[in-house]
Amino acid sequence: MSDSPLRLPPKPKPSPWTVGLSLGMVVFTVVCARTVGFSFSGLVEDLGRTNPVAQGLVDISWGEMFSERSRRAFLETLQMAVIGTTAGAVVSLPIALWSTEVGNPYLIPRVLLRSFNNVVRAIPDLLWAGLFVLGVGIGALPGVLALFFFSMAVIVKLTADTLDGIDMGPIEAAKASGASHTQMLRTAVVPQILPAYSSYVLYDFELNLRASAVLGLVGAGGIGQRIDFFRGRGDWSKLWGLVLMFFLVVVVVEWLSVKIRRRLV
Amino acid sequence: MIRFDKASVTYPGGVVAMKDLDLEIGDGEFVVIVGLSGAGKSTLIRAINGLVPLTSGGLDVNGHDVPNLSAKGRRQLRAEVGMIFQGFNLVDRTTVLNNVLMGRLPRVPLWRTLIGKYPDEDIQIAAKALDRVEILDRAYVRATNLSGGQRQRVGIARALAQEPKIVLADEPVASLDPPTSHVVMKYLQQISRDLGITTIVNLHFLDLATAYADRIIGLRNGELVFDGPGSEADEHTFRDIYGRSLTADDTMAKQAAL
Repeated sequence: MSDSPLRLPPKPKPSPWTVGLSLGMVVFTVVCARTVGFSFSGLVEDLGRTNPVAQGLVDISWGEMFSERSRRAFLETLQMAVIGTTAGAVVSLPIALWSTEVGNPYLIPRVLLRSFNNVVRAIPDLLWAGLFVLGVGIGALPGVLALFFFSMAVIVKLTADTLDGIDMGPIEAAKASGASHTQMLRTAVVPQILPAYSSYVLYDFELNLRASAVLGLVGAGGIGQRIDFFRGRGDWSKLWGLVLMFFLVVVVVEWLSVKIRRRLV
Repeated sequence: MIRFDKASVTYPGGVVAMKDLDLEIGDGEFVVIVGLSGAGKSTLIRAINGLVPLTSGGLDVNGHDVPNLSAKGRRQLRAEVGMIFQGFNLVDRTTVLNNVLMGRLPRVPLWRTLIGKYPDEDIQIAAKALDRVEILDRAYVRATNLSGGQRQRVGIARALAQEPKIVLADEPVASLDPPTSHVVMKYLQQISRDLGITTIVNLHFLDLATAYADRIIGLRNGELVFDGPGSEADEHTFRDIYGRSLTADDTMAKQAAL
């Protein structure tokens, strides 16, 4: 064998599309940055100044993590997440089934249900909370309602996508054995998606827990409301105590949830 | 009794899968349908339980006027007709017993199905079906943990749990190796004889067809080209059915030897 290097075929040039798109992205980003007045020198200047919020992080109030009222707020957050997730999960399974071709042979009801899902999904959790605070007043109830709709948006979407990829064989078998449509769904479809569905419910619980920190900002209960209280008073060291505690709770719940979900799928 | 009367099936797109078929299959017969893929074997089988609707003509299955059934009537017909599939069509994630209980669905109230609590009589019937194909000891194993041959036996048990008058088997051994294929064919034959169940099997291996069939039906391009006892079918008949000379691919024994 000779040692002369192999000749590769001529290297293709990057397509004009790639070049144009990359250039366009750079220009667009620069224009946006200038429009909103972003500057690096300003950023450095601000970071150098003494900042009461950052100072609060240094003087973090460890006691606030376990104070009576904070504990109650944490408990409320967990309860809201549990109720919102459970209620959302219960209604999501049939809605997901009925909004796919496998589960619902009728075109018009299916399209209507899908449009409803899209509307629910288009509204962010904070807006749901704001709407329900206006509707039923401040407290945990609007928070739970917001999480319910938010859960529905998440679980229905993920479950419906899973339903599109299931094995059609058992469905044919159930039909051939004379099962009714609902019996077919229960015996041939639900067992196929149950592990994925359970995993989505747990994932949604994680999302709800995190969302509940923000919901309080519009008065929808939970730990967020207490965080907002300290923010309003400018009591940064206590605020950071709560944020740290919340961070720990979220990490623990996620760690557990990931472990369980790994076993499911 | 199954009677096709000038029955035709044309799929959307214009493919003619059944053309003016006149055919009568008596109670308790063990019939094997042979033909190339695309000859209309699956269509014939699926017409019997109404999975494929006729485009024209008549079809009477045990007194059910198949082309004119209501949705409820169709479910009643299907309850009497068990079906076995090439790909087994089991729910992998659930137990063997739950798969077999699927055969009891038309007799079980909806609320029991929803909570997954079947009556004891139905569980007994399912157990008996599993025992007949000698796989009762795997009742609580997940279907995904079984071998191909075992899965097809569960498929047979599911059909048997319907206590059917007719069993349809669509290429039941196409995904199995030769020894396992013979096991499955023997179960089908035995069940047909012991319980007097009319059995219609699609096969594409000629040696399997002649070995097990009481009666062979040959299809070509949706038309009946042979109908006679298994013993009468020889190489010439199959050449007619296939429209070409036979190759090693057409018999299981020769293909296995390759």
